Amino acid sequence: MSNQITRRSFIGAISASAATIALAACGSGASEGDTAAAADYTLVEEGKLIVASDLDFPPLDSFEGGEAKGFDVDLSKEIGERLGLEVEYLPPTNFDAIIPMIKQGGKADIGNSAFSITEERKAEIDFTDAYLDSNLGIAVKSDSDAKDEEALNDASKKIAVQSGTTGEAYAKENMSTATIVPLTTVTECMAGLSTGHYDAVCADLPVVGNMCTMSFTDCEVSVEVPTGEQYGIVVSKDNPGLTAAINEALADMEADGTMAELKEKWFGTTN
Amino acid sequence: MRYNRRDRGTGLLAALAMLMLACAMLVPTIALALTTNKATARPNENGGSGVIGGLNTRLTWEGTVEEGEEVSSVTLTLPDDGTFDGSSTKITVLEGLSRAAVEGEAVASGSQLNVTFSQPITEGLLLRLEVEGMKFPSEGGDVVVSGTYVNQGGEQQLADSKPITTIANTPLQAMVATLDEAPWVQIWNSNPFLGMFFKPQLLVTAFATLVPGWLLCLLIVVVAYPFAILLGLIFALMKISKNRLLRLIAIVYVNVLRGTPLFLQIYIMFFGLPMMNINIDNNVLGVIVIAINASAYLAEIFRAGIQSIPQGQYEAASSLGMSYFQTMFNLVLPQTIRRVIPTVTSDFITSYKDTSLLSSVGVMELMMFAKNLTSVSGNMTPYVAAAIFYLIVTLPLIKAVGYVEERIAHSERGGGPRPKGKTAKNEAADAEVKLSELAVHAEALDDEHAFVPALTPSFASEV
Repeated sequence: MSNQITRRSFIGAISASAATIALAACGSGASEGDTAAAADYTLVEEGKLIVASDLDFPPLDSFEGGEAKGFDVDLSKEIGERLGLEVEYLPPTNFDAIIPMIKQGGKADIGNSAFSITEERKAEIDFTDAYLDSNLGIAVKSDSDAKDEEALNDASKKIAVQSGTTGEAYAKENMSTATIVPLTTVTECMAGLSTGHYDAVCADLPVVGNMCTMSFTDCEVSVEVPTGEQYGIVVSKDNPGLTAAINEALADMEADGTMAELKEKWFGTTN
Repeated sequence: MRYNRRDRGTGLLAALAMLMLACAMLVPTIALALTTNKATARPNENGGSGVIGGLNTRLTWEGTVEEGEEVSSVTLTLPDDGTFDGSSTKITVLEGLSRAAVEGEAVASGSQLNVTFSQPITEGLLLRLEVEGMKFPSEGGDVVVSGTYVNQGGEQQLADSKPITTIANTPLQAMVATLDEAPWVQIWNSNPFLGMFFKPQLLVTAFATLVPGWLLCLLIVVVAYPFAILLGLIFALMKISKNRLLRLIAIVYVNVLRGTPLFLQIYIMFFGLPMMNINIDNNVLGVIVIAINASAYLAEIFRAGIQSIPQGQYEAASSLGMSYFQTMFNLVLPQTIRRVIPTVTSDFITSYKDTSLLSSVGVMELMMFAKNLTSVSGNMTPYVAAAIFYLIVTLPLIKAVGYVEERIAHSERGGGPRPKGKTAKNEAADAEVKLSELAVHAEALDDEHAFVPALTPSFASEV
């Protein structure tokens, strides 16, 4: 951190400390460390943490009644509170456009849309520390006779994936004989699966699991793929201060039980 | 004590036989304390699905620790000149679907990668190694990942993985590699805008890989359009018909289709029809949606074209004793076609571009390929390449429309024998001229099915 106080960081510090005071007054209390880190990052708009997400990934991200909802959304809000920033969600953004958007800058400060931490993505942007463990799942129609990877890895099969996801990469790598159809959202994939356009959907397990039980009840998760991937929040490489500040907030949330509360709320378990 | 690769097909049996054999031999080194589950490689062919040797890719190797075993280190080995140098390894240990807290350190040296764990991996755990930035042998072929592991009993041989199919470098990739190294390319790409939208390496790959998508776009619109014209004409005639019911049907059809986004229509067709147990091939469905959508616009274009023909001509025709259909097909439509050609061409261009929306429902058209490439590369260049593919078709068409319009304007203004300018007053005179023309051609009209293209040129010079 440079010793010079720029106007931007000064205002940031002021607003952050003002917010801290306000929060302290409300009794929610932010620790000293937050304000120290707050001065070291740049934001698209002062006092605001602008978040990009595809908001079509329940229970992590969804868009209900014009409002962002989900585990990730609560997480962003909690982070915003701890950093003394007002959290604003952009309208749903195509998943594969979020990383380029964060990289180019100027539109959103962070991308929080269940991004699995991968080396490929790390080459483009920075990840915060992991906040959630995940795996992949393959969903098929319940009455289908091709349910495992071997049966699906066939030239006559179509596997729908969300463009730019680890599910897409997995399908391309492990079921390369099948036709891999990249779509914009998981909902599109599942709708196509349910109506018989595709033979399977490969995506994050929590999400396909949720969709199979909540919306597309004629489908089921036939394969649980243990990949042990972890979600992280996407921050521009030009903004290491923000990554550090979010990491600190995440660590705090883990320590004071907020994270467990959120997991309990959205997944019903604390794992 | 290695698996014979050919036995792999008989999976369980082979494993069982192995186990029995091992037991019978009573060797302390019972094979498979660490079972090789699989080894796969991420396709690294730009825009393709091949795994190319000699280029960076990611190897994913998975193994399960068997009952009563503990594994403290694993070494993976690649054949020939495959190399792990410069790679980074992500170590994941899983118990079921949950991550186990096991750290490890990976050291790469040439064709070997040694991974040592902070604590031994115990039974039932799944070990996942993702080696990013490794290279398979450059000559391609089926690559088997072998190796060793260390358990309580010392170093043991790992079972060979199923072969990974790799290919030698393609000319396209070689070209990309040349571009990668060219100094001008590096300078070019260092500009964020040029690098993001006009990256030369990606332009080259995009041009090569987008072709099938482009052809499908063209195919869809070229097949769809004749149907659209036919449907459009039917609905145009229905809309100007005297029958109320026909008019109503046409009005509803045209207004609903013109008044809703094509995107929505695509969704309804693609997700709605299968729910009614109507299963049609995706590409055919694409043709149908585009044809129906375009037909509504064409119906309006044709209707306007037909109604632009002065009333006097109808009167003239009926005074000659021509029936409605005779008038329509011999007199009105030939003139209409001429007048609507520019607008129809514009609509064709629109329909051609609209095929891009089909990518959202899994039709493998141009945008789908571009999106695919963009999601892999995180770069916008494939979209620029797609834009160029659209322009290859649309620019000549736009040019052609301009030319045709000019010709029509020319013939409408001064091309014909009549004086310039057209006022309400000389509409009547207009009709008279037509009448005399008609008289000349009256005999030709006897056959009411004849389309009489011969008429068209003579009108053309006048209209």
